[in-house]
Order: sequence, then structure tokens, then C-alpha cells
Amino acid sequence: MTSAISLGRRALVPLLAVFTALLVGAVVIVLTDFENLSRLGTDPVGALAGALGGVVSGYGAMLTGAFGDPTRIVAALETGSARNIATAIRPITETLVTTTPLILTGLAVAISFRAGMFNIGVDGQLILGALGATITALFLGGSLPGWLLLFISIGVGVLSGAVWGFIPGFLKARTGAHEVITTIMLNYVAAQIVFLALSSPDIRQPTSTAPVSLPVSTFVDIPLIINLPAIRLDWSFVVALLMAVAVSFLLFRTTKGFELRASGFNMTAARYAGMSAGGSMMLAMALSGALAGLAGSFMVIGTVGQLSPDLSGGVGFTAIALALLAGLRPSGVVAAALLFGALTTGGKSMGIQSGIPVDLLTFIIALVIMFVAAPDFIRGLWRLKVREPIKEAVTTHQQPSAPV
Amino acid sequence: MTAVADVVVTGGGLAAQRATRDARLRGAAFFAVGVVALYLGSQSLGTSATFAFWVDRQGGQSVTLQTAVGVLWMFAGTVSILIGVIQFLRGAPFRWRPWLLLLVWPWIAAILAAALAGKPANLTGMISGSIDFAVPITLGALAGILSERSGMLNIALEGKMLVGACVASVAASVTELATGSPLISVLVGIAAAMLASGGLGLLLGWMGIRHRMDQIIAGTVINIGAVGITNFVFLRILSRNTQLNTPPTIEPWRIPALADLPILGPILFSAKPYVYVMYVLVGVLTYMLFRTRWGLRLRASGEKPAAAGTVGIDVIAIRYRSLFLAGLISGLAGSYLSLSVAGNFGMQMVAGQGFIALAAMIFGAWHPIGALGAALVFGFAGTTQTLLSILGVDVPPQLLNSVPYLVTIIIVAGVVGRVRGPAEAGRPYEQG
Repeated sequence: MTSAISLGRRALVPLLAVFTALLVGAVVIVLTDFENLSRLGTDPVGALAGALGGVVSGYGAMLTGAFGDPTRIVAALETGSARNIATAIRPITETLVTTTPLILTGLAVAISFRAGMFNIGVDGQLILGALGATITALFLGGSLPGWLLLFISIGVGVLSGAVWGFIPGFLKARTGAHEVITTIMLNYVAAQIVFLALSSPDIRQPTSTAPVSLPVSTFVDIPLIINLPAIRLDWSFVVALLMAVAVSFLLFRTTKGFELRASGFNMTAARYAGMSAGGSMMLAMALSGALAGLAGSFMVIGTVGQLSPDLSGGVGFTAIALALLAGLRPSGVVAAALLFGALTTGGKSMGIQSGIPVDLLTFIIALVIMFVAAPDFIRGLWRLKVREPIKEAVTTHQQPSAPV
Repeated sequence: MTAVADVVVTGGGLAAQRATRDARLRGAAFFAVGVVALYLGSQSLGTSATFAFWVDRQGGQSVTLQTAVGVLWMFAGTVSILIGVIQFLRGAPFRWRPWLLLLVWPWIAAILAAALAGKPANLTGMISGSIDFAVPITLGALAGILSERSGMLNIALEGKMLVGACVASVAASVTELATGSPLISVLVGIAAAMLASGGLGLLLGWMGIRHRMDQIIAGTVINIGAVGITNFVFLRILSRNTQLNTPPTIEPWRIPALADLPILGPILFSAKPYVYVMYVLVGVLTYMLFRTRWGLRLRASGEKPAAAGTVGIDVIAIRYRSLFLAGLISGLAGSYLSLSVAGNFGMQMVAGQGFIALAAMIFGAWHPIGALGAALVFGFAGTTQTLLSILGVDVPPQLLNSVPYLVTIIIVAGVVGRVRGPAEAGRPYEQG
């Protein structure tokens, strides 16, 4: 039970960080609610009530959008109709669908940060992975058995992501080029490559006005976990969970993982101990890109079904937030990905039902990173007693070496 | 260039040997490309290179300069060989980066002429276009120099420019609705943008100094938050109330007398006011950083804060102050994008220019003049689209759009090598 208590204590600051960020988000919603605020002079109570009502309905829509409506789920289960059950549980499965790429990209960020590499190019690695998988599936489609094509497409996607991640790692190790600049630049280049590919008549969906690819899922598909109409949850979710176990094993139970963490913790010491810090950088970035590429392949083959330029939807940003929230621990990444998956899925229905743009979530995510990286601020704000000496804030260069 | 900028290794030891070897290799490389250029020159002495410039104003009278493509190659080649020889003889202490910045231009001229293959081309528009493109990059780089010289990494330039662009547009639009005066509205817009970004600079300081947060993470917080909040404001307010996002725009301003200079007038003195501000800021900051007590203290805070603190310099106050100043300048850069380039605010309109500015800062070795030179190179890369339309070459626009980003990667990784920045940039300072 002591482990449960220590887990609770460890999760307290991250949870308060998310809560505080949501509170600030609510303030932003109120401050930008001009329709209601314009009545502040004549009817201050009504104006404030209206604005707060906007927050409640917005965040309420987020909650039901993420977890569904319990009474409806019970009612649907009682009727036993597959269609009713599917619509009732759809919010939950959609949350898990959103969680899958978040787990994978969160792991990608965690690996690179552990090795002291600040990979903000996850979006680019993801989209290029998706592109690799798309091209493979479209060009080999029909000539290979489905299961083989599935594995080859995912393999090419993973490889494309790994190559795109390896480049900044290589440049950093060989020339010292800062990975923050190179990964960001490579994000822009990747986006242009995808636009270029989508201008090709072999890839682009001819009937659509937006630049999207032909549906990949006509050739390959990932089997679903629950076979119900309109449910998209497939086995990639389970693979993502297995990846978390694998990354955890790699980082904390293997020599390579120890070297990765050592060179992230203190590159000079690692080098002095005979490890290849440059090699660790390149390996970490390639693995990071491979995980991002896997996420992109899963999206394009499975849940989304086609390639579009905005496929990632800024997942790379969210991944940084959740990796830091998780203290760069794979197990924490899974928990934080579930939380952010719920926020993102709920945020979409918030956007549809109450007209509050989903982009508010990006702002909230930035606040979460800030609060997590400044834990003493959150502790001070909520008057938490400090039971242990305040640890160093999360850094990119010197990671706390605490094991899982 | 200052001594800080270049790695100067003296004495024996492995590092010195490696520096000498690198310098020799670099000299040989300069020499080799010079020989290639001479060879190309000997092959193309017959092809004419015709460049035109507008004499009085864009689209007015023009003057043409004619020479042979071979001559341009020969010139570029000779200069390259010369720099190569000096580099080879002087070894590691030779400061080759400023020379490289100068060498770029004859090469560009030669390659351009070779690509034109005898067709005439008017360069005035391209040069002034490069300068326009360089403005936000130079300003961003100046902001980066100020904060990094004082010891604070500034990854947040991108986000600060984005917020600056948004605030400038909204503030100028609102002021124009209220007062009807374009001049006042533009000034209010710029001031508001600068203050908003200055505030973000202080926030960066609060995170990095007060809470000792990793400065890269702190900068990323601002970058992500800026995207989120400006997209949110755009979608929730501006897209439905377009009158809040239609600021008066800032048009080019001809400097009396100077603008009438032939050839130079249309290039240098009929520009947007921001261009003049950029030159002034580069000059002022160079003087302030390297010739005043203020600048010495600022640099000391970034190089050896412990020593600076010992002699009574308030390192933390200096870092906060330079972050605020850097914020003001990035806000100015942001206002340029919305008030002068685009004419309104658009979602994610900064599009990586904040990071390109960081690259320019590094290429310019943390020196304002170097940063301006580097930004002009980026500016030229940004006008490739115009260039290729002059040439009539059909290249997919997606490739053209990636050129500035690719050039940035090449410059940060390949050309620059390891440049030493301020020693303590990025490390929190403990006031003892």
C-alpha cells in the first residue's frame, strides 16, 4: 500500500497542474465571451452568469465528449441493440483512439529527452511515417496478401520516421547543430514533402477539394478490437501499450538504455566512462522518430484511413506536455496519454457543441508544461506542504535518474 | 567579430591539433571550390551576363550592367582561392565566418548569371525583397543576441513574434475604429505588440530565473502557448469580427534626397520604415554591447556570472532587463509581419521565422552585424520563388517553400561548424 500512497503523492502535482491549467482556460473563455460581457454594464449578474454558463457548458461538453453519458450507456446496454451500444460507448472508444498516437509520441519524446535530446520534431516524423505507410500501401496494394502488406506498410512508415528523426541526431552528434532548430525546420520541410506527395495524381483523392490521399484502408486495415458499427478502436491501441513496456524495458533494463540515460544525464561523464554520447544521441533520435512514424502509420492505415497534411493535429506539442507530466516514465506516459486523449476528444465535442475553438487546449497544454516544470509554483499556489526536498525542475540536459 | 565568437585554441594538445587540422581542411575546401569556379569561368567567357537595376523607382527607368558570366565566376573563384590561402596559412585563429558572409555574394551573382544563361534580369526587386524578408529575421536575431549574451536562451522568439503580430493587428484596428487616424493606430499597434512580447520576455525570465526551469522548456511553453492562444483568439473573435483584424498598413517610405540616388535609392532608401529601424538597431546595439559599461555588464552576466556577481553586478536584474528588451524587439518584428507584410493577422503567420532568426544569430556569431549579414543570406533564400519565376524555371512550389528551412539546416549544421556562444547561456544563476 505504501507504493499506492507514494504514487498518489507523485501524481498530486501533475494533477493539480492540469486542474490549474483548466481553471486558467476557463478564465480565458470568460474573458473572450464578448456576447455576454458586453452586457456587463447593464446587467452584470446576468453577464457573468452567462459567461460562466458558457464555461460550464463547454467543459461539460468536453466531459461527455470524452467519457460518454453514463445513463445513456446503461440504457443502451439494456436494449442490447448493437447500434445503440455503439453510439453510447463511442466517446470512450474515441478517447482510446486518440490516446494511441499520444502514447507512442509521448514515448518518442520521453526517449529523446532521456538521452538529452530535445526532439520537437515529432510532428514531422509522424507525418513522414504516415506518408511512407501510405505510399507503400497504395503502390503495393492488391499485389500482396493483406497481412503482409500491413506489416510492410507499417515497417516502411516506422523506417521513414526513424530516418527523419535520425537526421537531427546525426547533425547534432557530428556538427553540434542544435536539435531544437533542426527538428523544427525539418517539421516544415516534412509538411512540404507531404503537400508535394499529395499533389501527385497517384496518391491524391481526385474527388476531394482538400489535399488528402486515396483511402488507404481499402487495401490494408488494422483489425478492430470491438466489432461494432462506427467504432474505430483497433489493435494499435494494444500495440501502443506493449511499446510502453518495451521502452520501459529498454531504458531501465538494458545496457543501451543505461547509456542513453547516462549521456542525457551527464554527457561528459558518459564519454569519460567510455560510452559514445554521439551514438546515444543518434540512437535515441532514430528510436524517437521510429515511434512517431509508428503512430503516423497506425493513424493512416487504421483509425483515420487516409493521409492529410494536418494528420498529426499538433500531437507533437501534446506529446512534450504529457512526457514531462509523466516525469519521462513510460508508465506515466500511458496514464498522461489517457488524460490528454480524454481532453482532446472532449475538446473536439466542446468545439462542435459550444463553439469554443479546440485551440484553447493547445494553450492549456502549454500551461500544463509550465506548471509541471515549475512544481514549486504549483505547490505554493495550492499551499501544499513540501515533504521532500524540492527536486531539480525537469530539464533536458540533466534528467533525474530515478528509476520507475 | 569579437573574440567570443570564434574558437581560438592556442598551445599544444589534442584540441589544438584538431583545430589546426580543421582549419587546413577548410582552407583546402575554399581553394578547391575556387579552382572549380575558375574552370567554370574559363568555359563561359562567351556567355553574356546582363543585370538591370531600376534607376529612379521600381518600374521606372532602368540601367543595365553587362559582363560575361565567366568574369563573375573568375571573380568568385579568385576571392575563394584567396580566402583559402589565408585560411591555410593563418590556421585556426583566422576568422573566416565574416569572410564567408562576403564570399556568398559573388557566388550568388555568378550562379544567377549562369542560370540566366544570357537572359537579362532586373535585380532591384530581388534585392529589396531580400532585405524585406531579412527584417523579421534580423530583429529576431537581435532579440536572441540580447538575451543569450546575458545568459538566457531564447527559444521563445517564434512565440513572441506570433503574439506580437496578433496584438499589433488587433490594437491598430481598434485604435483606428476609435480615432480614425492611421498614424496613431499604427503606432499604438506597434507599442502594444512590443509591450505584449516584452511581458512574455518577463514571463520567460520568471520561469527560467525564479523557478529555475530548463530554459528550452520555458521557451517551448511560450511557443506552444502562443500558437494556442492566437489561434483561439482568431477563431473565437477575429474570424467573426473582421473589423478587429483590418489594421492600417505601413507602406514604404522614401527618404527625401537619398531616395533619389540612382540605383541605390530604389534599393536602400525607398523601403518600409522597419528596414531603417533595423539598420539603426543593429548599429545601436553593436555600440551598446561592445562599447558601453552596460554592454560589458550584460556580456559578463552571460560569460561568467559568478565573477560578475562578485564585483557587485546584479546578474539577475540584468537578465530580466535583457529579456524584456528582447521581448520588445521581437514584438516589433511580429508587428512588421502583420502590419507591413500581410496587412492583417493570420493563424501561425510567423511560420518558423523565429527559429530562422536563431539560426541567423548563431551564423552571425552572436554579433548584431553578423546577424544582419546572415539574415540577408536567409532573405535571399526567401526570394528564390521570385528568382525562379524570372528564370522561367518550373519547380514545384512545395520545394521552393522548403528552401529557407533547408538553408537554415545547412547553415546551422554544415557551414557554421561549432560556434561558441556565451559560456553560461542556459544555466541558471545562483545569487550567492
